[in-house]
Amino acid sequence: MINAYILIDLKPGNSDKAISEMRKIPNIAKISVVAGDFDIVVRVHVKNLNNLLKVTDKIHMIKGVIKTTTQIIEKELSL
Amino acid sequence: MRLRIRKKYLFYALAFSAAIISAINSGLDAIVSNLYISDPWALGLSIFLVGIPVSLFFALLLSIKHKDKSIGERFIDPSFKRIRLIKKEELKYQIFAAFGNGIFTVGYFALFAIINDPSVILPFSQVVILYLVVIESVNDKDVPTLAELQSIIIVTFGAILGSMSLSGNINIESLIIVFLIINPGWVILTVYQRKLKWMKINNRYNDSINIRVWNVMFSFILTAIMIFIYDQFTRSNHLMVGFQESIDHFVWVAIISTGAFFAIILYIRALGIGKASIAQAIRSSTIIFSIPVSILIAHLGIIEQFPLDPNLLIIKIIGISIMVLGIISFALTLVKSYIFIKVRPGISIEKTMDELWKIRGVSRVCAVTGEYDIVLKIHTRTLVKGYEKIIKKLGDFKAIKEYKWQSVLKEWEDI
Repeated sequence: MINAYILIDLKPGNSDKAISEMRKIPNIAKISVVAGDFDIVVRVHVKNLNNLLKVTDKIHMIKGVIKTTTQIIEKELSL
Repeated sequence: MRLRIRKKYLFYALAFSAAIISAINSGLDAIVSNLYISDPWALGLSIFLVGIPVSLFFALLLSIKHKDKSIGERFIDPSFKRIRLIKKEELKYQIFAAFGNGIFTVGYFALFAIINDPSVILPFSQVVILYLVVIESVNDKDVPTLAELQSIIIVTFGAILGSMSLSGNINIESLIIVFLIINPGWVILTVYQRKLKWMKINNRYNDSINIRVWNVMFSFILTAIMIFIYDQFTRSNHLMVGFQESIDHFVWVAIISTGAFFAIILYIRALGIGKASIAQAIRSSTIIFSIPVSILIAHLGIIEQFPLDPNLLIIKIIGISIMVLGIISFALTLVKSYIFIKVRPGISIEKTMDELWKIRGVSRVCAVTGEYDIVLKIHTRTLVKGYEKIIKKLGDFKAIKEYKWQSVLKEWEDI
């Protein structure tokens, strides 16, 4: 399994619609609306890189998404 | 169907559901202890003995696959795959949890033998939240914030007012049982169940269903040993009575065990999301649900009818309202953030991760590919605490070239 964070920049005023679109995408484990340089941080849980591409593609297709930065998790320590 | 809801709501939904089931179960406990098994030792033992086949039955049922996932994984706990054997690393925690459960259960039924009104018994035991906050503070090597203390005090006073009997009576013997037996037992159970839930088994978080199944088995063994020792000292025969009552009143005890199974797995699942004290605070709402249960069983003549004094009822409602307010203010003061870090070239990312992991309040550290090298997830009670505990510390890390703090405003989790 591959876990990744996708950092998303949105056009101002599009967040509500974009989030509801993202909530429909399978393999997204968590959606966090954040304050700072990015607008949304999404955590993705996929079987392989091909599926990761499908998720990133779906996010790209959402109206209002300006930029995505994908960060694949190589190692994780968590509670 | 996929369901994605805000994690906070999932946490509340789980803890409230556990509270409702517990309140209904307390009514059933009152019925069984008043009408069928009056010996608290025997009832405690039979709950675990009958609980074994009941838990196994439901765990097997929840293991049935529907499409690509088991029913339990789909509807109750995403970490659950199927019923499995206990792992070696779980053993120590399961023994402690079972010890706590044994003490709690026998104490709980001993209390029923003295006071048989569930609306009095349940609120008393909610003061356990104080014990949990102290333990969490010791574990986190951290002092609770003012907001935490304020909420805890409000919740506790609310619970005390809410625990007033509808007949206005307070029994000293029962208070001793609550503070010295039931609450410490529940704390031990909660702390070790939480440790079990946060454990990784086969690369995924431990699931609440297997935790419960194994807890019932170990609780039975430890409770039987405790009762056997007690019988030897007092020349009594509670152990054999317990076995006999399990057979004679199997159906009633199986109904209680079913309620306990679902209440506990929902509670354990909630423990895997939030702090034990907050889960307990929400579960305190069981007091509200126990009032109609008490009125109903008194109306049925199972427990003694009590006069419904309007003043006492108002005090009880005020207590419950205060408690709910305390819980809400408690939950609203949690701040979550991400920190995206770039590590200086020539410095080990893995070693930096290990160092960052030691900072209190850091709940997740991920080494990632791409623009940044490390992503941290932070949980703090206030932004000031985030600055004091984390930002100041990051400044001391020579390995960190640059970092970006992103506060989480809203969050949804796939369940």
